[in-house]
Amino acid sequence: MSKRKRDISRRQFLEGTGVVLAVATAGPALKGQLSTASPPEADSAVSGVPTTTVRLVVNGTEHRVDVEDRWTLAELLRDHLGLTGTKIGCDRGECGACTVLLDGKPVYSCSNLAVWADGRKVQTVEGLAQGEHLDPLQQAFVEHDGPQCGFCTSGQLMSAKGLLSRNPHPTAHEVRAAMTGNICRCSNYNRYVEAVMAATGSASTAKRGSSRSTASAEPGAGGAR
Amino acid sequence: MKTFANKNPRTLEQAVSLVQQANKDGKTASIVGGGSDLLGLVKEFIVKPDVLVNLKAIRGLDQVTPAAGGVNIGGLITLDALGSHPLIRNQYTVLAEAAEAVATPQIRNVGTLAGNVCQRPWCWYFRNGFPCLKNGGTTCFSIVGDNRFHAIFGGGPSYIVHPSDTAPALVVLDAKFRVMGPAGERVVPAAEFFILPQQDAARENILAADEVLAGVQLAPARPGRRSTYNKVLDREAWTHAIVSAAVVLDMDKDVCQRASLVLGGVAPIPWRLPNVERLLAGQRITPELAAKAGEVAIEGAQKLSKNAYKVPMTKALVQRTLLALATRA
Amino acid sequence: MSQPPPVTPGKTIGHSTPRIDAVERVTGKATYSGDVHLTGMLYARVLRSPHAHARIRQIDVSKALALPGVKAALTHENCTVVWGAGSVAGGRQYVDEVKKTTRQKRYVFNNPVRFVGEPVAAVAATNRHIAEEALRLITVDYETLPFVLDQEEALRPESVKIWPEGNISLNVKNEAEPEVFRRGNVEEGLRTADHVFEDRYTTTYVHNAQMEPRVCVASWEGDKLTLYTPTQGTSNCRHDMARDLGIPDEKVRVITQYMGGGFGNKNQNQDADLITAVLAKEVGAPVKLELSRKEDFIGVHGRWPTTQYYKVGVSRDGVLQALQLRGYSGMGPYRKNSGAIGGIELYQCPNVESTVYPVSTNRAVSGNYRAPEFPQGFFGIESMMDDIAYKMKMDPVEFVVKNMTRKSNDETPYSNYTLEDCIRRGAEAFEWKKRWHPPGADPGAIKRGSGMSFMALRSPLGQSSAVLRLDSNGRYTVFVGVTDIGAGAKTTMSMIAAEELGVPLSNIDIVWGDTDRCPFSVGESGSRTTDMTGYAVIEAARDLKRQITEKGLPKGENALIASASPNPTSDGKVRKAFGAHFVEVEVDAELGRVRVLKYVAVHDSGRILNPLTATSQIKGGATQGIGMALHEDLVYDRRSGQPLTAGYYGARIMTHLDAPEIEVIFIESDDGYGPFGAKCIGEAGIVHAVAAVGNAVFNAIGHRMKDLPITRDKILGALA
Repeated sequence: MSKRKRDISRRQFLEGTGVVLAVATAGPALKGQLSTASPPEADSAVSGVPTTTVRLVVNGTEHRVDVEDRWTLAELLRDHLGLTGTKIGCDRGECGACTVLLDGKPVYSCSNLAVWADGRKVQTVEGLAQGEHLDPLQQAFVEHDGPQCGFCTSGQLMSAKGLLSRNPHPTAHEVRAAMTGNICRCSNYNRYVEAVMAATGSASTAKRGSSRSTASAEPGAGGAR
Repeated sequence: MKTFANKNPRTLEQAVSLVQQANKDGKTASIVGGGSDLLGLVKEFIVKPDVLVNLKAIRGLDQVTPAAGGVNIGGLITLDALGSHPLIRNQYTVLAEAAEAVATPQIRNVGTLAGNVCQRPWCWYFRNGFPCLKNGGTTCFSIVGDNRFHAIFGGGPSYIVHPSDTAPALVVLDAKFRVMGPAGERVVPAAEFFILPQQDAARENILAADEVLAGVQLAPARPGRRSTYNKVLDREAWTHAIVSAAVVLDMDKDVCQRASLVLGGVAPIPWRLPNVERLLAGQRITPELAAKAGEVAIEGAQKLSKNAYKVPMTKALVQRTLLALATRA
Repeated sequence: MSQPPPVTPGKTIGHSTPRIDAVERVTGKATYSGDVHLTGMLYARVLRSPHAHARIRQIDVSKALALPGVKAALTHENCTVVWGAGSVAGGRQYVDEVKKTTRQKRYVFNNPVRFVGEPVAAVAATNRHIAEEALRLITVDYETLPFVLDQEEALRPESVKIWPEGNISLNVKNEAEPEVFRRGNVEEGLRTADHVFEDRYTTTYVHNAQMEPRVCVASWEGDKLTLYTPTQGTSNCRHDMARDLGIPDEKVRVITQYMGGGFGNKNQNQDADLITAVLAKEVGAPVKLELSRKEDFIGVHGRWPTTQYYKVGVSRDGVLQALQLRGYSGMGPYRKNSGAIGGIELYQCPNVESTVYPVSTNRAVSGNYRAPEFPQGFFGIESMMDDIAYKMKMDPVEFVVKNMTRKSNDETPYSNYTLEDCIRRGAEAFEWKKRWHPPGADPGAIKRGSGMSFMALRSPLGQSSAVLRLDSNGRYTVFVGVTDIGAGAKTTMSMIAAEELGVPLSNIDIVWGDTDRCPFSVGESGSRTTDMTGYAVIEAARDLKRQITEKGLPKGENALIASASPNPTSDGKVRKAFGAHFVEVEVDAELGRVRVLKYVAVHDSGRILNPLTATSQIKGGATQGIGMALHEDLVYDRRSGQPLTAGYYGARIMTHLDAPEIEVIFIESDDGYGPFGAKCIGEAGIVHAVAAVGNAVFNAIGHRMKDLPITRDKILGALA
């Protein structure tokens, strides 16, 4: 695949459009270090509900948080640590959109309680890039049209990351098997496999893109512009 | 979710007494392994715990330990660790393959052996909160309802099928189940661990509310043993078995000295096939004998209105799995 | 007849271009509606009917309101908002006037309730867990009523009347009449045909199952409402909200920056938006409503199930003489969309009659899902024709080429015509002659088979808008009301602008998905955004270039602004995209398992503006089609009217291991219309995929599977 330069960098894009991103107007800042504060009022633990203090490392940063025992890890990440990159697609462990790495292994963050992450390391999609440098997987996803609607993409990335840390040169079948716990309804599966194979530098047996030709002469054909 | 308190016991004994304490206080306690299945039930308000007793906090319950030629497996071992463990892969292949057949990597990374064995049914009436025999009620809705995934053996009054992949593998290996309760530890043979609805329709196994499956003991693998787990899913990945077969053959060159077969997906308990085992003992497994084994396997099957297809499926699965296992290099 | 000039890439269009927002999506920075977090935000939850059909005798929310943290509760007693888009006579969502005259109105909270999952109450509380607990404190006294689930059964005299008018869903004139189309004299055609074939085909309710569940955040500032909601059409959502709440359009702002798919169930406004808006007004604070996956499955909508009866008359040399369809579409109790059954238009035939009954049932509501009326109908009719080809001992490809449409309605020319091209190219690439064999020919348990299907899909032109601004720094900003549901609209619009303006893509910025900042957009549905909004972008660019010529480039603080709202036509010709799919499957006849081994998809979608994203659309659509053919259903328990498989697991949505490699071949053309000759593509991949898979299964096992989905139990049942 020819390396077509990305014409618009992420920062340029955000500045250029001037679009208001209404994310976490009351929540903690997204970039760099994260505070331990939860957004005020609405999301504080309510009295009478059992809570526990947990310590966990998320994307390299240690947090000490009071969590309600019933909060899922997904909820803790999204609503209380401002890490909304992890998505909730079903909240039942049936789709994989919420996949994060827990001590390096892909898990459904919706099906694990926050209290059970005490003393453990979590990596989310926000922790893949190093500053402005995308992880090779992210770069490959961009180039191979990984995200269509993008909602499953974070989970797909984390499963792929988990796979490559165990098996740096998987076959296409191994990629599918490792990522089969991540549903993509846009059904962009071919592209994800292509992207992961490209990220590993492996020769891919998966077909790239499409082939094109011009229609042959037929009645009623309009002229080209 | 409903409010509950998570408790992290340090030992199994502590876990048991936490359950007892909760019951004394008039509260409901749920024992948690990996938690994936339980949380799903809690979110649907099918299980309503006040207390979660989190076994993950207990160290040392997840080990594979050789013992007396065989092996002890801690109940808290994850399915991923179990499936990739070299000793299990080599000597108890059926169990490794069964562990690998469960769900997806994300579930196998936290799901435990004990959790998988004790998993509640995936009958869609139960999971959708119908007031059935498993849910405090007095009827089984599958009988006159949509029973395409329900039992063809051993059913009645409930027709659920046991949802576990590892359970048939453990039964075919004649595993012993180590149960920890208020009176300490006891050992239950696989054949007695799972119970038919006739015996108690509300439960799938003999565990009382204050008991924990601490682990399993497997006898030494005999020389010449080969085993496999073969599962028919309802898409290419990530469903419970429509039908599955756990098979162990003790071969002496090309003669099968002893065969063990247990089916999943067909009955409320892992379903042993003693008639097939008798048929195969001491025989060469030819295509004709494998075909006969398939026919014997389905003798006595009782079809419901929509699950007749499970019968030819079972026959074919037994035949194929046997032949492939027997003739494999 | 001369060879048309080859379609060659432009400077920007025609080149594979990564999405301009791909970095946001792969770094977790893209803000979806559920990621929005406002100060003081409350959380809402909805209580839903556990009964398929019931009258609410009494509802008591007092205990819920007494729970600490609960701030408001709504029921049919204190909220009488009508959801105009929730039920529209004839399913005519895009004709605003009809919403005023629709007789069978759908309130946000109805009494009686008419399907399991119908909203009964909603609460707002300080967190989602309290809101959930509050629901369990609401007591409702129901009087259960008889219910009916099946679309044919609902028309029997003994079935319960869901509406006073009966169970034929009312048409645009509020009449209980089927939709009828005729050409020639079908009775005569059947009478005089050499052979007449009859058969029945059924398709199931298939949910859109988009990854992002329905969610909404509503916030009022004085009398202005801001809604963060995933909608495919910000303009129509805004207008629907304004009408339903009785406020002017300009008092509603709809913002959709990123959305996680929809495939047709995120258009207009949804009741979730209304519930959230009303609660937010009640409590005087922002409110977020999150639907669970189960609620999304049964509370939004999915593809209508159908029963199709065909009678086909054929001459002895295999030419169609008469084609009759009697069809029934299960719409649920509220009519959201058309309920049509497409497919008749695929064939050339002098005598045609299609009679389709949209029927009210007590199931989850049906509505648009990717090419709403086509996969169902194409499966039915192309299976029927494939079967006729078999019975007449003809190669399916030859039967198709003999009988496929060559003019729209057999009379109006297409703007261009490449259907035979698509079929021949596909047959060649697939090696059809090598792979196709007499049905059921493979002797063993593992049987291979090949099937094909074709399509002609509407690719209309119509009105949309775009605004373009040039600043003195040389940067162009495109303002379009798209929301980029997943097809890459932002990227496509930017590429179109760059091409027409003659500047690099890097000079283009885009403002989207905000009704306060963007002009009207037709809404990302019906594969219209590229054709309609894209065309508007070109017109705006042309206007801008004229202004530059007249006034020179802007300097200092000045900007040049151009806007366009064109409504082009195709000069009386009918524009369609064409395609053909060729599929090889392997069926395990003993275990009932079907696997797709090879899939070739050939498409003429005009000029391909961005090959990268266009290919992904075809792959995605085809894969969804495989899922519809082999797996997906929303199973109901007949006795209780309860849905049993409302979720990703139960509905058996395809996984990585289910998805085969889809080879995509584009045959490009430029018919002189649309933006640079582009035709519809978003829906093109799915419409005939289901039929191709069904035909391949027939070829493998020699039994025609007439009832979707083709699951293991059905295969084994057919072969028993």
